[in-house]
Amino acid sequence: MSKGFVVFAQNTEATDYIKQAYALALSIKNTQSNVTNISVITNDIVPEQYCNVFDQIIPIPWGDLSKNPLWKIENRWKVYHASPYDETIVLDTDMLFLEDISNWWDYCSTSDLKFCSKIKNFKGEIVTRDLHHRKAFINNGLSNPYVALMYFKKSDLAHDFYKVLEFVCKNWEYCYKKYAPNNFQNWLSIDLASAIAIDIMGTEEQVIDPTLPFEFVHMKPAIQNIIPVPINWQDILSINYQQNKLFIANQKQRYLFHYVKKDFLTDDIIKILEDCANGRS
Amino acid sequence: MTTGAIIFAQNNGAINYVKLAKFSAKQIQKHLRIPVSLVTDKNSVGEDLSIFDSVIYVDDYKHTQHRKFHDGTLASVQAEWKNFTRSQIYDLTPYDRTLVIDSDYIINSSVLLPALENDHLFQIYKNSFDLAGWRNTDSFNRLNQYSIPFYWATTFIFEKHKTTETFFMLVSYIKENWQYYRILYSIDSTAFRNDFAFSIAIHIMNDSDDGDFATSLPGNMSYVTDRDLLVSATDNKMQFLIEKEGRYGEYTLAKTNGLDIHVMNKTSLLRYIEGGTGV
Repeated sequence: MSKGFVVFAQNTEATDYIKQAYALALSIKNTQSNVTNISVITNDIVPEQYCNVFDQIIPIPWGDLSKNPLWKIENRWKVYHASPYDETIVLDTDMLFLEDISNWWDYCSTSDLKFCSKIKNFKGEIVTRDLHHRKAFINNGLSNPYVALMYFKKSDLAHDFYKVLEFVCKNWEYCYKKYAPNNFQNWLSIDLASAIAIDIMGTEEQVIDPTLPFEFVHMKPAIQNIIPVPINWQDILSINYQQNKLFIANQKQRYLFHYVKKDFLTDDIIKILEDCANGRS
Repeated sequence: MTTGAIIFAQNNGAINYVKLAKFSAKQIQKHLRIPVSLVTDKNSVGEDLSIFDSVIYVDDYKHTQHRKFHDGTLASVQAEWKNFTRSQIYDLTPYDRTLVIDSDYIINSSVLLPALENDHLFQIYKNSFDLAGWRNTDSFNRLNQYSIPFYWATTFIFEKHKTTETFFMLVSYIKENWQYYRILYSIDSTAFRNDFAFSIAIHIMNDSDDGDFATSLPGNMSYVTDRDLLVSATDNKMQFLIEKEGRYGEYTLAKTNGLDIHVMNKTSLLRYIEGGTGV
């Protein structure tokens, strides 16, 4: 059974997602002991110096459906069909691995589809009810998946899920009105669309697993438990990154770090990742 | 293996810490049945110290600092804050296993006995409970909202071991370089505080993570602040006047029974000890 990580990366005017995917790929090479394959799904040109970290560079199947020039997620349901692996962990591009998570693969090996539902802030505090971003989930009784970190195996269950997700993404206004009318969200988000797809399929107990070891540090400013909420967390918290160890305000970050704010990924951090990958640190 | 308690008490002109220590020592002997030694300085003598197993003298620290000591909501006094010797405990204690407590921590139960008998190297309170119930306790959860978990240096138990020796060397190093560390950990106050230095040292000993260097002492550390008043302390029962929320200068009566408690209003505690009530 082949295993690998897959990311979608579609550059916008504001954000170089290919560069983020490159940094994530380097962090995978630097930390993972077993699975180091990562493929990127994109129609953008991948710079030559980035190419060698990717296992495969895969064009977006069936054309680019994204309409929003700032936030391109309409294609995300295609990841199942595009992934070259039997077992896939799907990630957001703006993440870095800090530790070996090989045991996550072991845990998932007997499952077909799993979503991360546990996030922490930089202080290590588990975010239990995110009333800033997840009102539509909470007030409509939906499950709480984080698609920034999820697993699927090529299987009937995962295939069915992505078929339903395709329907929800293509008819999101209809689905939101039907399944998430409270705190109506007037834009397509892949997390809410996935929660609705899980609800339609009735598979919450199967795919949202409280014992799943998946977790990541989510740096959305509003869940850092800091008042007033900063616009950029980097403006008020110190960053110390060296040899795959990341300290935010002197506190060691674990496993997988979702930095959210693109300015975090400086050339210095890329250089550290490259040096580590090349055995120069 | 010898086991005993150490109380630090250095008088400051406003508060007779040695008298507090004598009261606290009686409570330890009654409920925990272990010998108690006193760490003090030559400015703090003049009392009958026969209650103590031994008296250990320390020199004044090279720096002095002052802070405000409240006595209820309406009164306060500015006085010297002599808190620099705590990090020397590893060398000062005559015991293999030592309970270290502040002179204003009153033992009213045997809840710490199992902690004196287990084999953890270092035990300290992280979680606490404010008797008032309504006050914001965020500053006792983390050093500040950006920073690391808070630990109380008020009460801890340690065993002599290379690991704990390293820890206290680290606390000393942090103390010697306090202005650096307080900026590094976003601490606004310039005054050195043992709770902060211990919290930073524990954080470092834990590799800046949720490590297991420090084991939690049994239960939570209960406290009343120096905005509250002690009314009485008889046997293992205590009565307090707790400041009311939003009603300046008014209090609510609270009683405890068999509860170890940190009485931060040292002036009130001293008034009670010297005969009378703490009010």
